[in-house]
Amino acid sequence: MLHDLLFRIRTLFRRPGIEVELEDELRFHRQQQLEKYLSAGLNPAEAHRRVRLEFGGLDQIKEECRDARGVQLLDTLARDLRYALRVLRKSPGFTIVATVTLALGIGANTAIFSLLYGVLLRPLPYHDPASLIVLHETTPMVGVVSPSYPNYLDWRAQTRAFSNMAVINSVAFNLSGIERPENITGIAVSPNFLSLLGIHPLLGRDFDPSEEKAGAAPVVMLSHTLWQTHFGADRKAIGQTIALDGRSFVIIGVLPPQFRWLETVDVVEPVGVWMNGNTSYRERGERGDSAVIARLASGVGLRQAQTELEGIAARLAQAYPGTNDQFGVTLRPIRDVFVSEIRPAVMVLFAAVTFVLLIACANVASLFLMRGIARTREMSLRIAVGATRGRIVAHLLAESFVLTFLGGFAGLALAVVAIRAAAGFIPEGLLAGANIDLNPTVLLFTAGIATAAAFAFGLGPALHSTKADVQSELKEGGRGTTSGAAASRWRSILVVAEISLALILLVGAGLLMKSLSRLLSVDAGVRTERVLTMQMSLRTAQYRKNPAILNFWDRVLAGVRALPGVQAAALGTGVPLTGDHSRTDITIEGMTPPKPGNYPHPDVHIVTPDYVTALGVRLLRGREVTVMDTEDSPRVAIINERLAQQFFGRADPIGKRFVFSHPSADQAPPWITIVGVVGDTKLYGLANPSRLEVYLPFRQVVSDSMTLIVKSATDAPAMTSAIRSVIASIDKDQPIFGIATMEQLVRFSVSTRRVTFIILGAFSTLALVLSAIGIYGVISYSVAQRSHEIAVRMALGAAPGDVLRIMLGQAARIVGAGVITGAVASFALTRLMSNLLYSVSSSDPLTFAAVTGVLALVAMLACYIPARRTLRVDPMTALRSE
Amino acid sequence: MPEQRIDLPQGTLDLLILRTLALEPQHGWGISERVQQVSSDVLCIQQGSLYPALHRLERRGWIKAHWGTSENNRRARYYELTKAGRRQLELETDTWKKMTAAVALVLGTSL
Repeated sequence: MLHDLLFRIRTLFRRPGIEVELEDELRFHRQQQLEKYLSAGLNPAEAHRRVRLEFGGLDQIKEECRDARGVQLLDTLARDLRYALRVLRKSPGFTIVATVTLALGIGANTAIFSLLYGVLLRPLPYHDPASLIVLHETTPMVGVVSPSYPNYLDWRAQTRAFSNMAVINSVAFNLSGIERPENITGIAVSPNFLSLLGIHPLLGRDFDPSEEKAGAAPVVMLSHTLWQTHFGADRKAIGQTIALDGRSFVIIGVLPPQFRWLETVDVVEPVGVWMNGNTSYRERGERGDSAVIARLASGVGLRQAQTELEGIAARLAQAYPGTNDQFGVTLRPIRDVFVSEIRPAVMVLFAAVTFVLLIACANVASLFLMRGIARTREMSLRIAVGATRGRIVAHLLAESFVLTFLGGFAGLALAVVAIRAAAGFIPEGLLAGANIDLNPTVLLFTAGIATAAAFAFGLGPALHSTKADVQSELKEGGRGTTSGAAASRWRSILVVAEISLALILLVGAGLLMKSLSRLLSVDAGVRTERVLTMQMSLRTAQYRKNPAILNFWDRVLAGVRALPGVQAAALGTGVPLTGDHSRTDITIEGMTPPKPGNYPHPDVHIVTPDYVTALGVRLLRGREVTVMDTEDSPRVAIINERLAQQFFGRADPIGKRFVFSHPSADQAPPWITIVGVVGDTKLYGLANPSRLEVYLPFRQVVSDSMTLIVKSATDAPAMTSAIRSVIASIDKDQPIFGIATMEQLVRFSVSTRRVTFIILGAFSTLALVLSAIGIYGVISYSVAQRSHEIAVRMALGAAPGDVLRIMLGQAARIVGAGVITGAVASFALTRLMSNLLYSVSSSDPLTFAAVTGVLALVAMLACYIPARRTLRVDPMTALRSE
Repeated sequence: MPEQRIDLPQGTLDLLILRTLALEPQHGWGISERVQQVSSDVLCIQQGSLYPALHRLERRGWIKAHWGTSENNRRARYYELTKAGRRQLELETDTWKKMTAAVALVLGTSL
């Protein structure tokens, strides 16, 4: 086989030499034969005659020899490609339109596939990522919750399904000792964390098993980014110290650049260091902000591990009913945890972009069909002079391949631009740290779809245009009525398909647009105009005691309220739409104690006076937190409407009492009296249902982390630097972070849907334009074809309007068929995107109607322009030109 | 000219060429002469089929060609058997023998 191919190729490159050799070889034979006859006694004339006779057609022998050498295959291929290039160069209009169409289709596909690959397919940068499982606890009331440290220790001790298990706690630090203090985030991990993932520090050492116990010396590992930005990528950083929360940590290592985690990681510390001055890890009921990661033992499946862990959780629930009753465990592959948010959007976009490519192919196929009609005579002639059908098909396919090659390269360039542009408007964090680029896999995909496209739009028309009946074609003088009519039918079918696909995309985009507008009109329970928010976390030793913390908050409020333009300023532990809130069980006075895990579990906000005013939360009953609620005054709280309705019904909740956690019978619980009811706020994003909420005065429960909320008379962002200097004048080492206006928070909370809508919107517009071009082409060709018929009709007295109606009738049939099939297909397909929709049914009749209307209108307009030309047909000229 | 010439059955041409070249390297004319002589003028190879066959066998790698000088001092293209060609010859000879034996059997019974 290999010998065969090499032989063919060698032959191809030695063409001229081989021709000469063949000539020489055959001449030698003739001479030998001639001599033989001469020596046998024939006269020269007779000898020559015989030789000539025996040899027959010399050229034919040569041709057969060439065939035998197998030159033909490669030679014809090269010839076909050369010829295709020449043909395409001669019709630049066709070539440009086809190339641009293909470039758009292939480019969009390449860009979206690189997104899909980066987010969903590229192996995560861990050893054997498929066996990595993330574990959380679950409760019937709230679903997924963080595992408590003692439970993690028991899981690890009892599991056999997992070969290794590590815990990860989210932590934050104030990084000081630099020009502008910063808040950085990180994780506190068990020392086996990195080795479990199969990651080795780029520099320095991994954590030591001894660093799992409280009392470990403060050490920290830097992310590659932090090491570059703050230590200038200096290898000597190892062994130096870094000031975190005012304490100095020794840098023991630097993470490799490809390290990725579920959240942003600037630094990693061992749990032993995290435990210092922290007692929560000893409490089985303390479920903070953590996750457990584990590696499946070899040969163990997820289901088996799930069963085992559920058994362990059930035993723990029995042993510790006070903290674990009703608590289960959930296991998710690490990839799912990374992409669960964005997977549906990526899949929808990938489906959409496939449709765009199909439409592009249909358009190019349609162009080919039309050219096929124009070239019927050429094809018939070639067949008449002996070209086989296979040869002509191969030749036409060569044109398709040259076109996809051009389109593919242009598409790649387009994809590069698109990926760069998309990076600009896809918010950071949406892609879970995935890297989107053109890589060998993506290029292979592009080559694959380009080849598929070449066949898709090339083969059909090629087969079609070679089906021509040579005799009738040549006889009819190239008017090609029979195959012309068949080609027109095929083109109409292609346009129907295009319109259907375009309608599906438009319906998808329409549904998303409606969702987005519904979502943005959801009442978040707050007024977002001119509200600026920023976070502060007091973490240094000077803020150990409550009076110091309260003093700092008092001074911040006083300073900010004194700034010109500030209408209201307040502090609170959270702002709606951020998802960053803490929840605790409460027990309402007089309620029957439910099982653990079934207690009311409201989100708890610690707030200063004016919080409700600054955010514009509606006050429904009673009062908000005031300066009168102090350390020494009776404990009070404000609840939200939902909590009031769910637990007090029609009764007035003012004056009712509750207590945090589960009170024990032996001591009087510290009752908290409800003094006000406020409207619900959307804590976890606009699409999420409202939840139970409790507000507490900041002097009665002290928090060292607060968000400053400033309602100003002027543009909110302009306030930032003024506020910054107020804070710096109180404590120059205190960082401010998470600066955002409420409007930005609203926008960010809908970013997945917004980005999906923008991209899908772009695709459906492209689809609309392409199918409009498609139907425009069909109708203008039809007008040209039927000019004779039209002329006859007009000569017989048809009014221009009648003729126009005939043409538009043809268009309406095509558009109608496309719209109907498209609507049916959309109905079936949009259900797949229902989890991207918000309060819009996937078969929303209004969207369907509106989109169908727009599509039909655009399509009919695209038909009207060429159809109008019939009005200008002059019967005399049209008939005479025959 | 002998009267009894037989047109070569399909597929036998390759076998004859390979067999002839098994003796010694030979040029195209030589091959056709040799076959004619050995077969006592019964088998005659048409030039029209000889040369395409030679080039096909060369492509398959069963024979290889080089330019040499003929007995009467002309430049001629000589073909010789390759190892693969020798194997192919054995194979085809075997097949041929089996076939003719089988054909002979069938003919023997019917007459």
